[in-house]
Amino acid sequence: MPRLAQAVVLAAWGGLFWTLLATGRSSLYLSPRTAWVVPVGALLCSAAALARFATARAPRPERLPRREAWALVAVALPAVLVLALPPQTLSSYAASRRASFVRTGFSASPGEIASGTLTLLDVAAAQTSPEGERALASRAGETASFVGFVDRRPGTPADEFLLTRFVVTCCVADATIVQVRVVDVPPGRFAPDDWVRVTGRIYPLGREVILDASRIEPVEPPDRPYLTP
Amino acid sequence: MAVEVAPAPQAPPRTARGRGALALLALAAAVLGLRLIDPARTPWVANLLVVFGGLLIEAVPFVLLGALASAAIEVFVPSALLSRLGTLPPPLQLPAAALAGLAFPVCECGSVPVARRMATKGLSPAAAVTFMLAAPILNPVVLASTFVAYRGRDVLWTMVLGRAGLGLAVAVAVGWVVGAAAPTELLRPVPEGPRPLALGPPEPRWSRFAGHLAGDFVFMARFLVLGAAVAAVVQTFVPQDVVGKVADAPVVNLLAMMGLAGILSLCSESDAFVAASFVRFGPAAQLAFLVFGPMVDMKLGALYVGTYRRGFTRLVVLVAAAVTLVGTLWLEVFVG
Repeated sequence: MPRLAQAVVLAAWGGLFWTLLATGRSSLYLSPRTAWVVPVGALLCSAAALARFATARAPRPERLPRREAWALVAVALPAVLVLALPPQTLSSYAASRRASFVRTGFSASPGEIASGTLTLLDVAAAQTSPEGERALASRAGETASFVGFVDRRPGTPADEFLLTRFVVTCCVADATIVQVRVVDVPPGRFAPDDWVRVTGRIYPLGREVILDASRIEPVEPPDRPYLTP
Repeated sequence: MAVEVAPAPQAPPRTARGRGALALLALAAAVLGLRLIDPARTPWVANLLVVFGGLLIEAVPFVLLGALASAAIEVFVPSALLSRLGTLPPPLQLPAAALAGLAFPVCECGSVPVARRMATKGLSPAAAVTFMLAAPILNPVVLASTFVAYRGRDVLWTMVLGRAGLGLAVAVAVGWVVGAAAPTELLRPVPEGPRPLALGPPEPRWSRFAGHLAGDFVFMARFLVLGAAVAAVVQTFVPQDVVGKVADAPVVNLLAMMGLAGILSLCSESDAFVAASFVRFGPAAQLAFLVFGPMVDMKLGALYVGTYRRGFTRLVVLVAAAVTLVGTLWLEVFVG
C-alpha cells in the first residue's frame, strides 16, 4: 500500500504535466524559455510512477505511518489543485505588489528600439539604459499599438489607466511589469484587468511613456498572457 | 555478526488501505470544496495560487532529477568510492567538492537530495554540504544565464566571475565551519521508504532503485511544497517597494537584497534576469542577491529543516550572509 500511494502521487504529478502540455496551460506559469521542464516533468514523473507501480507488490507486508500518509496528501494536493481549479493568470493585484524600482531585466540595442514596429518589450528594454531611453524618445509622436490589461492605482485620473503586461523570464515568481500610461480614455468604460488593444501616439518622458489613445478596443486575453524577452 | 530482526507482521494491509482511502477522500473533498467555492475569484487568492503553482511546476522536475541522481548513487555507486574522496589532502577537499558542481547542472532543489545521499554513502558531510551550496551557482547553465542577463553591460564579467568566485568562497566557508561533523550529527534520520515488517529475500536492484527514487522524491517534495507556499504568501502580501527604500543605504542595501532573494525563492537558473532588473541597486547589491539566493531561500529553508538536524539552517544562513556581505562590501567599495 505505501508503494502504491507513492506511485499514485507520482502519477498525479505526471498527469498534471501531461495536462499542461496538452492544453498549453503551461504558459500561465512558465515562459517559453523554461517550458521544456513540462515535457521533462511529464516523462520523468510517468516513468517513476510506472516503475513504482511495477514494484508495488512488496515481498513482505509493509505499513504506512499516519504522518507519511498525510505527507503524501500534501505532495499530491498542489497537483490536484492546479488541475481542478479554473486557469488563472497574474493580474492587476500582482502588479500592485511589484516594486516601482524594478525594470524588466533585459536590454535591446538602441538601434533595435529606434527602428521597426514598436512593442511593449521595446518600451521595457528602453527603460534599462540612458541610450535606450534616448532611442525610444526619438520615436515620440509615432503611432503604436499595444495589447495589455488595465491597471489603475489610487489617484489615477478617470480618463487614464496603466496599460500593463508582465514580463516573465522563467516562471511567474520572477515576473516584472512593463506599463505605459494611457491618456484620453473615455471615463468609466474600462475596469481593472480588462484586456484591451490601445492604438495612439506615444510620448516617452524619461522612464514614463504616455500613449495618447485614438482607439481602444476590448480583446480576449491572449493565449500567452506574459511577454518573454 | 548480529542479525537485525524486524517486528512481526501486525495485520497492516487493512490499516494501510484505510489510511489510503481516507487520504483519497480528503483530496476529493478538497477538490469538490474548491470547485464550489472557487476561491480564485478573489484576487489575492488567485495571485497566491498562480505563484505557488508556478514555483512548483518549475521546481518539481528538478527535485525528481535530484532524486534520480540520489537513487543512482545509493544503488549503483559503491560506498568505498565516495569514502576514497575523503583521502584527498584536506585543503583540496572542499574546493574540489565545490567545483564538482560544474559537472552537475542541477538547481538548488536538486542538489539537496544528492548531497544528503553522498553524505550517507561515505563522502565527508563538509564536502557534501560544500557541493550542495556550490552546485546551484557554479553549474554551467547558471553561469551562462548570468552572462546572458548582463550581456552588453559594463559589469558583465564582474557579475559572472564575481558570482562564481564568491559562490565558491561561501560554499567552502560553510563546509569549513561544518568541519568534521559525522553524518549522524548533521543529518536527520529519514524513513527510507516503506518499512519491512518481516524478514525475506533482498529486493532486486532495480526495485530498490525505484523505491529510493520514489522515497526521495516524496520526502523532498513535501518540504518543497511547504517552502513554495511560504514564498507565495510572502510574494502575495509583502509589497516589494519596502526594499526599494534602502537602495542608497550602504550595507543595508546588501542585506535588503539578500533578504529579497530569500523571500522570492527563485531558481538559480533564472535569478540573474531578476537581479539585473533591480536598476536602482548597484552591482554589489545585485551580486549579493545572486550569491545568497541560491543558498538560502524559503523553499530551501524548508528542505534544510527536513534534511538536516537543528542548527544547520541557522549555521548556513549566518555563514553565507557573513561571507556574502564581506565579499560584496569589498566590491561596493571598489566598483560601486
